[in-house]
Amino acid sequence: MAQGATTTAESMSLICEKLTFTYPAKEAPILAQVSFQLITPGFHSFFGPSGAGKTTLAKIITGELHDYTGQLITNGLDRILYSHNKERLPGWSSVDHHLSKVITPSLLPEKDKLVDLFGLADCVNARFDQLSMGQQNRVNLIRYLLQDCDLLIMDESLANVDELTRETIILSLKEMFPARYFIYISHNAREVAKFCDSILVFQGSNQVHAPRMLQGCNVRTNTERNSAELDAVLLEIMNAA
Amino acid sequence: MLLKRILQFFLLYALFIGCLLLLKYSLQLSDYVIPGPVGMLQTLTTKYRSYGLATLNTMSIAVIGQVVSVILAFTLGIIGRQSTWLGSFIKVAAYNIQAYPIVALAPILFILLGDGFLTRLLIAAMICYFPLLLSVLGIMSKPVTDIEHFYRATGRMRWQLEVKIRTFENLNQLTTVIAGSATLAMAGTIVGEFIAANAGIGYTIRIALYQSDLAKILIALFFIGITIAIYQAMLELLGIAIRRAWTGK
Repeated sequence: MAQGATTTAESMSLICEKLTFTYPAKEAPILAQVSFQLITPGFHSFFGPSGAGKTTLAKIITGELHDYTGQLITNGLDRILYSHNKERLPGWSSVDHHLSKVITPSLLPEKDKLVDLFGLADCVNARFDQLSMGQQNRVNLIRYLLQDCDLLIMDESLANVDELTRETIILSLKEMFPARYFIYISHNAREVAKFCDSILVFQGSNQVHAPRMLQGCNVRTNTERNSAELDAVLLEIMNAA
Repeated sequence: MLLKRILQFFLLYALFIGCLLLLKYSLQLSDYVIPGPVGMLQTLTTKYRSYGLATLNTMSIAVIGQVVSVILAFTLGIIGRQSTWLGSFIKVAAYNIQAYPIVALAPILFILLGDGFLTRLLIAAMICYFPLLLSVLGIMSKPVTDIEHFYRATGRMRWQLEVKIRTFENLNQLTTVIAGSATLAMAGTIVGEFIAANAGIGYTIRIALYQSDLAKILIALFFIGITIAIYQAMLELLGIAIRRAWTGK
């Protein structure tokens, strides 16, 4: 059962113990005996092939899916949001208008900053369906980032965005939201190895072992980049997957 | 759009009259059974004014009936979209009642309310109401999850926003259904007039039927057809204008 507790920001954590979940129509569980802990804010990742249960676990964490066994403890993480790359904004007005309507007025300067950082300054006056898929995903991410939340799960939120922009975005998120927990669901092994603090590696849908938690390089803006360390993490991910 | 609709109607009507005349001359039927072109033209010149006014009378009832139906269908569709007891009740009731032929209830209305304006209006509204209600219920009950997810997750979803999103995402379907229901409203009014009314083009056709005057009936059909074609085209144009203003396309 999920448990929440009122705690200080420093003691926020997400603890998952022997969590097992089976979809009603299926016989085999999609998640079996999943255990991990996230005890520090920052960029964490769920990595693994499609159908391995990453999104299912995300939905369990947000409370969208119930009827699991095991324990999920969300100490202090009272506001959890889940964003994914299939989301759309309504089409009746411009992207900027929609963004301004869903954030508090005090965050408007932050919105403008994120729009610039995400390379969207030229297209915020367009309607959502006039944007490219990469631009749509970035716009969607901005509105989630400006919500009051403790944990944001980003399910392929940077899909269709070029590598350089993705790197800029991830680094700026780490800088702008140091006290927030992020769970970044991605299929890009190099990216999660480089930027994430911890990585929960899922195996394929016919997995024999429970997902394994690995330590990532957690590169920040000012961090010196060590390619040997990155290669080692990549190797570990490949072995675990 | 308007010209296209009118042209389409003229073509269909001409084809229909052509087939009738072909039947008449190939089977050598008398003018009493199927009138000739001269007889039809004579009826047109003598009756165009009264038939035109009768059609407008029927059309005005149909338009008011349709507006009432649209308002009612949206009101109940919006309430019925919810998965509450009331919502489920509305859905079940709508699905069951629509299966009943509404026109069969017309005599009851004529007995209770007489053969005036209100009865015709009620029949028109009832006949186009249920198909509209089912469409609106279907549209309003279906979540647009990829848009609504954010508003639900952040606690910003209000019923007005939910209705706005679902209306916007199904605008094409809604405008088509509303334009299509115009024919149903007109058919409902004419059927009501056939049964017992004392005015309108349906009443005029009933009299022509008693006189076995096919020319009058054909002229009445012409007026009905052209009026519906113009009204539907205007509804479609209105739909396009709303779509352009709202979606920017």
